[in-house]
Amino acid sequence: MTMDDEAEQDPTDAMRLDGNAVAGTFHEWFGAEMTAAPGQCAACGNVAPMATLLAYTQAPGVVLRCSVCLAVVMRIVETPDASYLDARGAAWLRRPRQAP
Amino acid sequence: MTATLEWQLATVTAIRDETPRVKTFTLSLPAELPHLAGQHYDLRLTAADGYQAQRSYSIASDPTLAGQIELTIERLADGEVSAFMHDVVVPGDRVEVRGPIGGYLVWNADGGGPILLIAGGSGIVPLMAMARHRASTGSHVQATLLYSSRSREDIIYFDELQRLHSGDALGVFHTLTRSQPPGWTGYSRRIDGAMLEEVLAKSDPAAAIFICGPTPLVEGAAEGLVGVGLAPGRIRTERFGSTGS
Repeated sequence: MTMDDEAEQDPTDAMRLDGNAVAGTFHEWFGAEMTAAPGQCAACGNVAPMATLLAYTQAPGVVLRCSVCLAVVMRIVETPDASYLDARGAAWLRRPRQAP
Repeated sequence: MTATLEWQLATVTAIRDETPRVKTFTLSLPAELPHLAGQHYDLRLTAADGYQAQRSYSIASDPTLAGQIELTIERLADGEVSAFMHDVVVPGDRVEVRGPIGGYLVWNADGGGPILLIAGGSGIVPLMAMARHRASTGSHVQATLLYSSRSREDIIYFDELQRLHSGDALGVFHTLTRSQPPGWTGYSRRIDGAMLEEVLAKSDPAAAIFICGPTPLVEGAAEGLVGVGLAPGRIRTERFGSTGS
């Protein structure tokens, strides 16, 4: 393994984060801690915790991609009036049942 | 909305210089919830015209420390929130926070098992919370840290890591990627496969592995570990929007 110098990397790749960075937004949308919760990529079928999704946050919204096939799994956009979630790239999510 | 997501006004009670670019802020919270080592808080600033900027910062302090949390924040060159925290905030000021948030890159001394921590730059912060938690609870599980920094002066928590090494048997391996002081005995290069194999050989074979730091370091280290045969399921990663490692 070698590690490329950061300057030689595609800047978009070097700036991408992961699902941990949007844990609060996930919590807002789903009413629970979701980063450890699994979901399935609708494109390739990979099942992985939401924390492992690649998060592109240097944009008006957040784009979350599958870490295996790079397909868009979710897009989240916040406006002053509303929040938008496009989750068509997720086949399913599994949220833990919360104690009452 | 659950209490975790309710914004509250925390009071900055102390500010400590860690390195030339990193400070630790102690916050007193009106409604502190229990948290796990590795979790973070969201911090939000609001300008007079209503403009808001929000970032996530990992909790550095031991979770068993009641009544306050510490956030260690690196000042990023283009950082809206980190620059304000570093340049403007003084003890007594109040900032809006919500948390604790996250549940993936977390470790609890109670039943947590051995750990191998791999950090780059300010990615040490959530892993330091784990090391502090292990020490404060008297846990005897094996724990090893591989920590990549640019130079000696950029190593966050250097003295405390030495104490955790000598007093609490935390295995500590430093690597300095840009410059090394005279007599430096640690590694002097970016994390690579040979380094990972040497550190793995001194870690518990069943250790859970947590990697946190800038994206190229995290992805390189995770790929390197899988490359030497580790099961990806043992590795948990968190990419930081940070600069130096």
